[in-house]
Amino acid sequence: MLSRVAASFYWLSRYIERSDGILRMLKINYASSQDSVAGFTWEPVIQIFSGPDEGLIEKLKNDSRAVLKYMVVDKENTNSILNIITLARENARSVQEHIPKDLWQCLNEYYHTVKEPKIASALKKEDPIGILDVLIKQVMLYYGTAEITMERGQARSFMNIGKYLERAIQSIDILDIKYGPTNNNPNLLTDITYWKHLLQSIGGYELYQKTYRDGLEAQNVIEQIILNNDFPRSVIYSVNNIQRYFDRLKNNSNVNDYREISFHIGKLQSNIKYSSVKSIGQVGLHEFLTQIKDDLYQIGNSLNEYYFANS
Amino acid sequence: MYKAQHFEKYNLLNGVWDEMYNENSIVRDHYKKVIEYLALESPDDLNKKEELAKRLFMTQGITFTVYNSGEGIEKIFPFDIIPRIITAEEWAFVEKGIKQRLTALNLFLKDIYHNQFIIKDGIVPIDIVYSCPHFLREMYQLDVPYDVYVHIAGIDLIRDHDGTFYVLEDNLRTPSGVSYMLENREITKRLFPDLLPNCAVRSVTEYPSILYKNLLSLSPRQISNPTIVLLSPGIYNSAYFEHTTLARLMGVELVEGRDLVVNNHKVYMKTTTGLQQVDVIYRRVDDEFLDPLVFNPNSVLGVAGLMGAYRKGNVAIVNAIGNGVADDKATYIYVPDMIKYYLNEEPILKNVPTHRLSNPDEREHVFKNINKMVVKKTNESGGYGMLMGHASTEEEIEKYKLEILKEPRNFIAQPTISLSAAPCYIGGILQPRRIDLRPYALCGPDGIQIVPGGLTRVALTEGSLVVNSSQGGGSKDTWVLA
Repeated sequence: MLSRVAASFYWLSRYIERSDGILRMLKINYASSQDSVAGFTWEPVIQIFSGPDEGLIEKLKNDSRAVLKYMVVDKENTNSILNIITLARENARSVQEHIPKDLWQCLNEYYHTVKEPKIASALKKEDPIGILDVLIKQVMLYYGTAEITMERGQARSFMNIGKYLERAIQSIDILDIKYGPTNNNPNLLTDITYWKHLLQSIGGYELYQKTYRDGLEAQNVIEQIILNNDFPRSVIYSVNNIQRYFDRLKNNSNVNDYREISFHIGKLQSNIKYSSVKSIGQVGLHEFLTQIKDDLYQIGNSLNEYYFANS
Repeated sequence: MYKAQHFEKYNLLNGVWDEMYNENSIVRDHYKKVIEYLALESPDDLNKKEELAKRLFMTQGITFTVYNSGEGIEKIFPFDIIPRIITAEEWAFVEKGIKQRLTALNLFLKDIYHNQFIIKDGIVPIDIVYSCPHFLREMYQLDVPYDVYVHIAGIDLIRDHDGTFYVLEDNLRTPSGVSYMLENREITKRLFPDLLPNCAVRSVTEYPSILYKNLLSLSPRQISNPTIVLLSPGIYNSAYFEHTTLARLMGVELVEGRDLVVNNHKVYMKTTTGLQQVDVIYRRVDDEFLDPLVFNPNSVLGVAGLMGAYRKGNVAIVNAIGNGVADDKATYIYVPDMIKYYLNEEPILKNVPTHRLSNPDEREHVFKNINKMVVKKTNESGGYGMLMGHASTEEEIEKYKLEILKEPRNFIAQPTISLSAAPCYIGGILQPRRIDLRPYALCGPDGIQIVPGGLTRVALTEGSLVVNSSQGGGSKDTWVLA
């Protein structure tokens, strides 16, 4: 497979996964903004996707509709759904002949849906959850179609590596940013609504209820998001999958390049696997998450160098 | 005339060949079945079909990009749902004519890059060849596989007021549009269930497999599985959709210049498993951008060293480099003479009478009659740089004349040919619009093959004679009957 094509698959997938994460998070955060007497703020969301821009945060943090508009259809925001999907589509366009026609059509429809002017106006005037659901459905269609139509070959491996890498980074960011304020405000550690929203925004609330019977606690939330093998948005689950799909590249790789990246992934996997909430606490959650994120970036860079021929 | 609502207002154009009606306003036999089918549909049904066609093009991403003031805008290539129909006899004539013409043009290219007998015998003037910017000395004395230079030709045909076919231009470099021939047919299958088999329309689906077979036969390495690639300028090219479609249908790799590298006069592509040697390149990049070491040094679309690998015979390039000397509009004038010279045959397809503006007498004649003329630049395509005498202002004409006088070699003039008209579904009724025809001829070691069909382009604006997509033209599905 052409290096450029592999890179496009990887990025296509990262962008789609990112759009999925953003949409789900917007949906839950919007719901919770309607469910709090005081003190709901969009600050963490803005921080994750636009960085610590004080002016922007100040402008948007208490205006749900404005945040939605900014995150979904704003052309100036590099991480708006509109821009992300445009990039995903550009990547797909350049590898069109490797993608099943059905999948290309799905993506194209997703793109045209976001671009429709009525999305922007509905976010302003109608029920935003309905609109976000329309878009989330597009992503789900995409994933379903990919699952059914993609040939089980290299292309799919690169796609899945991109997908899980992006997912791991997102889960880390969300946890890190949500956990930050507890340093100054220990009450949050036992604030049920606070953690409930976090779990809901990454679709882990039901699983949590089943696993931990004794109510919401920060320690358990951390455990689930980082260490639960069965939670599809946990860091360990994502890293396991990166490892799994990278493994499939073994037969058609240059052995040395393969080994180097494989070693890196394995090391990261073990590092998470043999951690516990307690040991993470000793290192410090923020430090632990930063280390993992660095490792993930490092893996991305190595792929770029060895497989995508961009050095 | 027909008695359905959407047929009532069909105004036959004066002095124009109509593909559907004969001069007595009676539907020609080969259009009957379609017209009967359409007559049973209400305008509402047809509107729905039009909507469906638009939606299918959009969701399938069948779009092209127009560049205006630096910004690329993606558009659907406008599609008219009413097919253009060609009878078996008409097609047999066209097919024979194109084969003859293409045979002669291939011989001309071989001759002009080797012994140049045609110049020595005084058939084609030497200045026409040597003043052509597309005549490339780099091709001199270079043998190409099977002496085929033009592997893919898109020869544009038009019909005058009496239905006679004329060749408007020969496109022998990187003719485009064939993906629309294929996609238009797919869409028509969806729009008019059962109509295609009922009318006995010949299939066009073979095109990619014929092309693939031809490309395969050109591989310099005698191995069972040579690497064939389609070289595209990239996603910002207006024909990018076509490049991906063809690559997909043939199952070959679509590459850009940055994916290729030349080492020791061999071409390789960069893959996830290292370098892989490339044997055949179907390029959709123009000559001058192919190799920055030989041609335009600023090009990033090509591959440094490609020309060297080509000259060594380590890679086949399709179409051959330097073909522009044969489809230059100034060379066009001599194609009928070439046919007589190389084949000793009378040309089957006629040329449009053409004046060379470098000749002072002809220039004077053209300037006098400029209202009845179309003036074109010899090395432009896509309908750019054209002057339509009858539709231009005094001021535009004067300005254009000055331009001509600066460099007369670069211009030719032709009398305004009326172009035949075909029914289009516009605004809820059928209306006549002007059309042309571009069949796609494939030339391989076993000879020339033309899939029965082609791209019918249509000038959708009322009264317009310009069918180019970049100038507001659209297209139709083109049916050749069995």
